[in-house]
Amino acid sequence: MNNLKKIEYSLKKRKRQESRFKIYGLLGIATAVSFLCIILSSIFMEGKKAFLSTYIKLEVYFDPDIIYTSNDQKEEDIKFANFQKIIKNSLNSFFPEISDKGELRKLSNFISSSEEENLMKLVLKNKQLVGQKITLWLLASSKIDVINKNPDMELIAEEDRLISDLELNWLNEIRSANNIKSNFNKNFFVKADSTEPEQAGIWGSLVGSFFTLFVTLILSFPIAVAAGVFLEELAPKNKFTDFIEVNINNLAAVPSIIFGLLGLAIFLNVMHLPRSAPIVGGMVLALMTLPTIIIATRASLKAVPPSIREAAIGLGATKFQTVTHHVLPLSLPGILTGTIIGMSQALGESAPLLMIGMVAFIVDVPGSFLDSSTVLPVQIYLWKSTAARGFVELTAAGVMVLLSFLILMNGIAVFIRQKFEKKW
Amino acid sequence: MTEKIKIKSKNVNVYYGQKKALDKINLEIPTNKVTALIGPSGCGKSTFLRCINRMNDTIDICRIEGKIFVDEEDIYSTEVDPVLLRAKIGMVFQKPNPFPKSIFDNVAYGPKIHGIVNSNDELEELVIYSLKKAGLFGEVKDRLNDTGTSLSGGQQQRLCIARAIAISPQIILMDEPCSALDPIATAIIEELIDELAKNFTIVIVTHSMQQAARVSQQTAFFHMGSLIEVGRTDQIFSTPSQKKTQDYITGKIG
Repeated sequence: MNNLKKIEYSLKKRKRQESRFKIYGLLGIATAVSFLCIILSSIFMEGKKAFLSTYIKLEVYFDPDIIYTSNDQKEEDIKFANFQKIIKNSLNSFFPEISDKGELRKLSNFISSSEEENLMKLVLKNKQLVGQKITLWLLASSKIDVINKNPDMELIAEEDRLISDLELNWLNEIRSANNIKSNFNKNFFVKADSTEPEQAGIWGSLVGSFFTLFVTLILSFPIAVAAGVFLEELAPKNKFTDFIEVNINNLAAVPSIIFGLLGLAIFLNVMHLPRSAPIVGGMVLALMTLPTIIIATRASLKAVPPSIREAAIGLGATKFQTVTHHVLPLSLPGILTGTIIGMSQALGESAPLLMIGMVAFIVDVPGSFLDSSTVLPVQIYLWKSTAARGFVELTAAGVMVLLSFLILMNGIAVFIRQKFEKKW
Repeated sequence: MTEKIKIKSKNVNVYYGQKKALDKINLEIPTNKVTALIGPSGCGKSTFLRCINRMNDTIDICRIEGKIFVDEEDIYSTEVDPVLLRAKIGMVFQKPNPFPKSIFDNVAYGPKIHGIVNSNDELEELVIYSLKKAGLFGEVKDRLNDTGTSLSGGQQQRLCIARAIAISPQIILMDEPCSALDPIATAIIEELIDELAKNFTIVIVTHSMQQAARVSQQTAFFHMGSLIEVGRTDQIFSTPSQKKTQDYITGKIG
């Protein structure tokens, strides 16, 4: 009876302990989830604006006097015509009261400089346009775009604001004439980097990331799987293989920038491979990913029950047949999962790529493994460190693109694991 | 005994690292008979079994001294390829271990890797023959493409037996084949062993003395790494010559 009382008393204590432990766990999860929500929502709130850009409707007059500078005009010369002036005149026709040169220049900054080239192409395609007046939606410059998307910015004092009161009045006039609209930002998905936020896009770095990861995968997957299978299944267990094993585990913990330094020293300075190229970036990231995949390979080979090996060996299969017919197929889901995790690590990696010059300002979408390019995380880093206000939204949008690719890749990893994992 | 001897061991010592697992085992196993190896856990009976098809080669720290002859040939001589040896000696393990493949592929795997069959028709015939031999065909004939792991424990074990006999070995080693099975499945397997003994030399390790008494013609009793006694099963269970054997079969040790 006395004992039972003691047990009852201690049981109460144990139950309290358990519920306290549960609360700690819940608190931990709640903190983690709320931080994640804050980060994701702030990125989303900022980034979603980058998917829209502002357009201004203008009556564009293709003035023959500006396009044809002389009487014996050659076709190529149209390329050198002053289309900036055409835009300026179009704006001026909307605001006929402005005559001051400085003010006119400010006004012409409402339209993105990329539209000059677009108008030129339009004329080259259709010469009939010369002398005509047509209505066009022209891409607004970044500062107009930012003000238009963030109405609360209009309330900031003039000296801290992106545009002056005068410009704001013009913008409001354009608004009241219903000559302004927001539309899908195509540039973001088809262009590479630019100094002008409204012309900058993620596509260049996305292609760069693709090329880089392709090289990484091609190099690291076969080498790592071969190494993992050899070490786990075929190599004799001795001091030397132990030494290799310890070193592979250590390599997985080496800071990635060290691999970048290695790439700089070996691939660029000794082998003289091109700077800033995806092929070098891919090689560096492959070095970094190798230990991850080797460890994943060995872990999933280990997870194959020994009974399967015994069954195959007992039937007279050779060691090689045992591995290739049974052990490797059974561990493939684990190996692929590890590979994808390694790949998504490589996708998010920027430090080693800074070392080999993939941090350059690249305006062209890379066309091959040897072209200069950047990758997604480096592009985000570049945008973040640029002063112009329009890049703030682009940075967040870039993070969104990077995150969605990471989620996609991890989703594939989960899918492979669920779908192909065999039970026995 | 006047029977033809299939397997003969001469002064076999086995070490796991520093530990001696088997001490001077001399044992003769007759052709087309069932020999049961009995003894308490850790007595070395499974170790001895795994020496016969050189399964212990896969364990790095395992070292074997002495000689084992199969058909008068020393299987530990350098000329013998263990892979070839294992094609001649089938093995059934304690826990049923079918490959996570279809029932058909499980049985077809051995013939395929050894190149025994020349055509798909021949392979199919062989698979069906082996499944029939293992007494499983009637239960699975409509679902040869289901995975082997979807079968019940007893069926899985018979599948493993079918897989072993598909490469027509001369010897089948069974390492406690019924320890993971219920009594009904066990009874089916025991019947099967009787049937198989017509064509194969069978060596079975078992914990159950009743099972040894039921299925075997010869019984060998192992204790602490030594072979204590070997003889005709009925004689071992009725009039053992050694006191240790007597103690074990009456439940005093083990």
